[in-house]
Parts: sequence; structure tokens; C-alpha cells
Amino acid sequence: MQRREAGSRTGLGARRRVAAGKSCSLGEGVSIAPLVPCQRSRGWTSPAPRRGGAAASRHRAGKLGPGRSGSGAGRRGPGAGSSAGRARPGRTRAPGSGPPRGRRGVARRGLISSSAGAAHLEPVRRTPRPPASMPPRLQPPPASGTGRPRAAVLPLALLLSLALQGVAAAPAGAGEPEDSLRRQDPELPRGLLEQAARAALHFVNFRAGSPSTLRVLADVLEGRARVNPKKECQVDLVFTTDRYNPEEGEERLGKCSARVFFRNQKPRPAINVTCTRLIEKNKRQQEDYLLYKHMKQLKTPLDVVSIPDSHGHIDPSLRPIWDLAFLGGSYVMWEKTTQFLHYYMAQLSSVNQWKTNDDAIDFDYTVLLHEFSTQEIIPCRIHLVWYPGKPLKVKYHCQELQTPEASGTEEGSAVAPTELNNF
Amino acid sequence: MKWILFFGALIGLSFCGREKFFGDQVFRINVRNGDEISKLSQLVNSDNFKLDVWKAPSAFSRLVDVLVPSVSLRPVKSFLKSQGLEYSVTIGDLQIYHEMDSIAGDFPDLASRVKIGHSFENRSMYVLKFGTAEGGRRPAVWLNAGIHSREWISVATAIWTARKVASDYGKDPTITSILEKMDIFLLPVANPDGYVYTQTQNRLWRKTRSINPGSRCVGTDPNRNWNASFAGEGASDNPCSEIYHGPHANSEVEVKSVVDFIQEHGNFKCFIDLHSYSQLLMYPYGYTVKKAPDADELDKVARRAAKALASLSGTTYQVGPTCTTVYPASGSSVDWAYDNGIKYAFTFELRDTGHYGFLLPANQIIPTAEETWLGLKTIMEHVRDNLY
Repeated sequence: MQRREAGSRTGLGARRRVAAGKSCSLGEGVSIAPLVPCQRSRGWTSPAPRRGGAAASRHRAGKLGPGRSGSGAGRRGPGAGSSAGRARPGRTRAPGSGPPRGRRGVARRGLISSSAGAAHLEPVRRTPRPPASMPPRLQPPPASGTGRPRAAVLPLALLLSLALQGVAAAPAGAGEPEDSLRRQDPELPRGLLEQAARAALHFVNFRAGSPSTLRVLADVLEGRARVNPKKECQVDLVFTTDRYNPEEGEERLGKCSARVFFRNQKPRPAINVTCTRLIEKNKRQQEDYLLYKHMKQLKTPLDVVSIPDSHGHIDPSLRPIWDLAFLGGSYVMWEKTTQFLHYYMAQLSSVNQWKTNDDAIDFDYTVLLHEFSTQEIIPCRIHLVWYPGKPLKVKYHCQELQTPEASGTEEGSAVAPTELNNF
Repeated sequence: MKWILFFGALIGLSFCGREKFFGDQVFRINVRNGDEISKLSQLVNSDNFKLDVWKAPSAFSRLVDVLVPSVSLRPVKSFLKSQGLEYSVTIGDLQIYHEMDSIAGDFPDLASRVKIGHSFENRSMYVLKFGTAEGGRRPAVWLNAGIHSREWISVATAIWTARKVASDYGKDPTITSILEKMDIFLLPVANPDGYVYTQTQNRLWRKTRSINPGSRCVGTDPNRNWNASFAGEGASDNPCSEIYHGPHANSEVEVKSVVDFIQEHGNFKCFIDLHSYSQLLMYPYGYTVKKAPDADELDKVARRAAKALASLSGTTYQVGPTCTTVYPASGSSVDWAYDNGIKYAFTFELRDTGHYGFLLPANQIIPTAEETWLGLKTIMEHVRDNLY
């Protein structure tokens, strides 16, 4: 299958000049408030906060989105595809202005930050402005060190000062009047912001290590993307999240801001992400421990054929197994997500081992991942060890699509094992 | 017991006093002697499994067809095995055809079941035709479903819609006026071999079951096999790929049957293809980013339809041309229809957005079908008012 390739764009000159020497003040006539559409400056677009979308986690019958106006109701989960590169005319957005999220700052209580690809866990920080002359190549994300002053969140506009050549992408909204001006940016993979959000969320879920408070994507609020000549893609974005298993009547919306670095179809996008807490820490620990106790009480060997069954049914007593499997699956899906490929966990197809004799849950299982846009079903054998409150340990092995001449069975046998783990 | 839960979920599925059991199987049991007959009777009469005999043994046939609810599949299978009873699983879509037959029987002045061809494994392909006028070739709507066999909600929605069209004609002004002007053709299982395969072997099978010479991989993606930029971007030439386009356009008999029928008819104005999942409502093109000549009108119609759909339960759909809304796809049914003069060509990707994906729970079938119906009506209304 041919894929569209992300290219690079020139033309940062004008913005560069504007960026240099400016503080974080706004240009004339431009006001930034939380969650308003970002004004577009040349080559950059940001979506208006999208209204509506059914949550991937639940379909809420008869419920409108929480206090949001606009067409549609409910929330959209990570599944919906959307177009990228839609341009919207608007006033020039002055660089140096922070994203809406920046107002609240990193110092706010209850933030959870994680990063991957950088060897530390830190909130996203504002970086000092680089000098006016900038090499036209991708610079590594600014390394945060202990000496760096704590500051508000890295303003998205500071990307302008990182000398990358790039274009911005905007997701399609549902039923928005500006859609008539949508144009397809041929250089950017479609739905790039959603891709980045998905990767970031898988990573958040994995790092949180909490099967009771998994998150799904609600909406992408804003984002920027840059592509370098090596076709690597850096995306900065802000998005909202929902609980994967929302409780009755619960309307919790978390918010995350992330920087995702896709390595041109190589696995393991680098992720730096900060999220507001969805659930109080104590409550989360409580719920995890409840799940854990429940799991310990399950009779082994588990009589599990597949979860869900062919009709989408999950026995309530087995739900925790699914949630734990999803947690392990998040690690796999994070690593496998690229600019072009994303995943859903279609089914837990077998349980190979479920051990709880030691303190931790030792779980060896196979899931079937559904890969977009190839439509492939990828079996992945996952082995995880979980204890509430401790980081998840996981290793896995996914089967590869077989070549036309492969001698494997039609259902796909492993050709080139990809073994990655964090044990 | 588990089956109580399952049946509870199914209660919502009944209409016209009839209960729908999606995913159940029909076992054809070969009873070789009186002893086996009595063992089988024992099984059938036991209330546990809620078995339904469709065809009893007679002097002329030793074959018994028994409908086995999906919850009972495992215990019944092991019972049959332990008793040494020989059986085979008949085509899983038997009940779909049974239901189509029953709709045609219940509404003989409106509905008829038409055979349009057969599948690779020689299963019949049936459409339901809804029409209020004899003779002539009225402008017509084609509703396509189940072309990707793992997308069960598409088949379920189609068969629900079939009965809805029939029941509401004469009662609901919208569908009545639509049928006064146009015929509706509904193909609930466009890929019967694949559908059976998902019931018996691999729930996540997508393609047809045609053999690929020289490869051990089976099947072609029937929605990459149409003659619209065939073998272009967004398809694969690898027979092992889920989006393998096949050796040539219309190589799949299932696709060719539909193409031939539509071309022979010559007066289709609307083609809607139901898929899952992602909650999208899309229009051409999939094979190019170039804007279709009617894109603006199609976009408006699609937005209205999505709005109508959302009005029921708040389910939101994204709207747009296929290529940029989901991904490039060449050789698709909707693109073919559009390029062959069928202006109102739409693809629905039904619920959900990834939580259950293809394995949508049974209790979402009717809500999905009901909301989709509102979207379909919106589109058909527009077609009715804009016949060309």
C-alpha cells in the first residue's frame, strides 16, 4: 500500500523575524483565552475546540456534552478519522503567546507528567528563546535539566523558534461552518493531531499503570505540527480525555498537553506529556486495589475463550481482566503508533497464564490489535506483571503480516518477531 | 445463568412479536437411527438451551435443522460430540435469508426477495426490493451492507431497516412518500462467504473467501475490487493483505453480481454502503483527494443526515470525503457508483469509535439501527426531492 509522505515546507522566514526578540505579548487585535480557536498565522492552523463526538468508551444515550454549545453532542473517541491540514483564514497569531493551557501553569496541583524518549519525567517547560539565526534542521526537544527555572507550560508558539520546517494540521470538526474553507494539506498525514493524541494517551495510560483509570480521547483542542527533511514529525497539542470506564452520571474531562515526536514510520514515538488528574489519587489507588483484590479471587485456570465474545459481551466478573489487558496493550499500541498507523484493541483472544500466587498479577495473554489504515489484525502476545501503584512491567511480541510467498498459515504466523520490553 | 442476561439484552430486539438472534447458528444434524433421534429429542426438549427446530426429521430426510442460540453453542456442541451425533453448521446467514423471506411474506405488495447472483462458495445473494409500482424502472436506492464480513452491525442494521421500511410504509409519511417515487433495494449480506466464516472460524475476517492462485492467503477485499481507480492508492497487491484488491476489477463474483444488477437496471440514483466502525459519514472520493463535482451538495446532505442521526441519542458522526476523512481507498463501491452516474453515493461507518470496534455489543444493535434510520431517511428524502 502506498502511503502519503510528509514533506517539508519552506517559508518560515517571515515568522522567524517576528518571533525573534518578542516577549510573550500578543499581536494587535489578537486575544487568547482558554479554549478559543487559535488565530492562524501563515502556514499554521489550529482547530476550534471541536464540538461533539461520541466517546470511544461509552455511548451515552440521550446525553448532551457537558455544557458545550454547537452542533452534536456526546464525545468522540479516538476512533474517528479526520482530515488534516485544513486551513482557516484568520489573523496572524503573534508568536510568543502561550497556549491557553499555559495560564494555569505547571505548578498546579495534581498534574501528571510523563515523557518517553527523553530519559526523565518532567512537566513540559518553557524554553528560553534561541538566537535569531537558526539552522534549518530538526533540533532535539530542549532538554530539561534541574537548573532550568520552573515556568509555565511551553508555549506552542515557541515552536516557531525551533528551526524546523513544517506545516500545521488541524483536525476536521463535526459540522462546523468554517469547513467550506477546508483544504487538504498534501504534505501532512491526515488526522495527524489525532494520531499524536492517541500515541500520547496510550503512553499516559501505560505510565499511570492504573487499570481503573484508563483514559480515552475526547477532543483535540489545538495543535501544531512540524516535519523535517527526514520526514520526522513533531506534534504539539492539547487535548481532552474521558474515562475509559466512566461511572454512571460521571462527566470527568481531563486535559493533557503533549509533544509527540514521530520518527517517520519507525516505532516508539517520543512522548512528553502532562495531564490534569482525572481522579483523586486516593480514589484511584482504592479502585486499583479493589480491582486487584477481585483479580486475586478469580479461580485459576481462567475459563476464558475470548473477551469480548463475538457479540461484544464481557462478563462483568471478567471485566478487570480486560482492563488489565488493555493496560498492557497500551504499551504495545504506544510503541507501534506512527504518523500513519494507529491501533485499537479488538479482542483478548487467549489467556496463556494468569498467576496471582505472589503479590503481583502475572498475566500472559494474546490480544488482537486492529491496525488503521491497513485494516490488519495483529496478534500480540503480551506478558505483564502488575501490582497496584507500581509501574507496569510488560514485554510483548507481535506477529508480522506475511509476505505473499510466506509459508505460514493463512491466519498469519510469526515471520519477523519484534520483541520489545521494559523488564 | 448467563443466558438470562443474554436473553434480557435481546428482549429489546423483538419487534412484530419476533425475536432476532444475531450470531446464532443453525446446526444440521444427521440422525442415523432411532437412538440418535431420541438423544436429539432429549437435547431439544430440554429447556436449557432454547433450541428451535426448523426442520424436523421425516421419512424422507434424516437431517434435522436446529437453530442454536449463540449462548448455547458451546454446550450443545459438546453434547453432540459426547453423544456421537454427526452435525454440520449450516450457513450462518441462513437466518438473515429466513428473515428476508418472512418480510417479503408479511408485506407481499411492497417487498420481494430477489436473487442477484451467488458467492464464491456458491451461496445465494439476495436483495430485498421495496417498490410500490409494477413494471418500469423507477429511480432507485441501493442499500449495501455486510461487504466486510466482520462488520456485523452493518448486517444487523440492514435487516432491521428492511423490516422498518416495510412496517412504516403507509404509516410514516416520509418513507411512504419516498416509496411513492422510488424503489429501494437492500442487500444485507454482500459477502455471504465471509459472513459465514466470521460465524464459524474467525470473527475478524474481512474479505471474501476466494482462492488466490499461488498464495496460501485467501480472499480479496471486496471494497477494493470495484472498477474505480482499481489498484490505485489505498489498496494492496498482496493477497495476504486485508486490503488486497484482487487480480482485476470485479474479479469477485459478489462484486460483479451487484455491478451487473445495477448496470442492467440503469436507473439508480443513490448508493449507500454500510460499514463499521468509526462513526463517519462520507462521500466520494476515496481514491483521490480531488474534490468530486457534487461534493458541496453531498457534504450538505451528509451533514443534515449526521445531524438527524445524532438527534436520537447524541451519537456524533464526522462528515467528509472518504480520502481525507478516513484514508485513501481505491476500488471502492461508493466511488464506482458515483463515477457511474449515481450521484448520491455515501458510506456510513457505524458505531462505535474503537471501544468495542467490530465486536459491538448486542444491546447497541437497535439503538444503532434506529439512529442510522434517521440518517438514511434524510438522504433518501433529498434524493426524492432532487431526482435527476
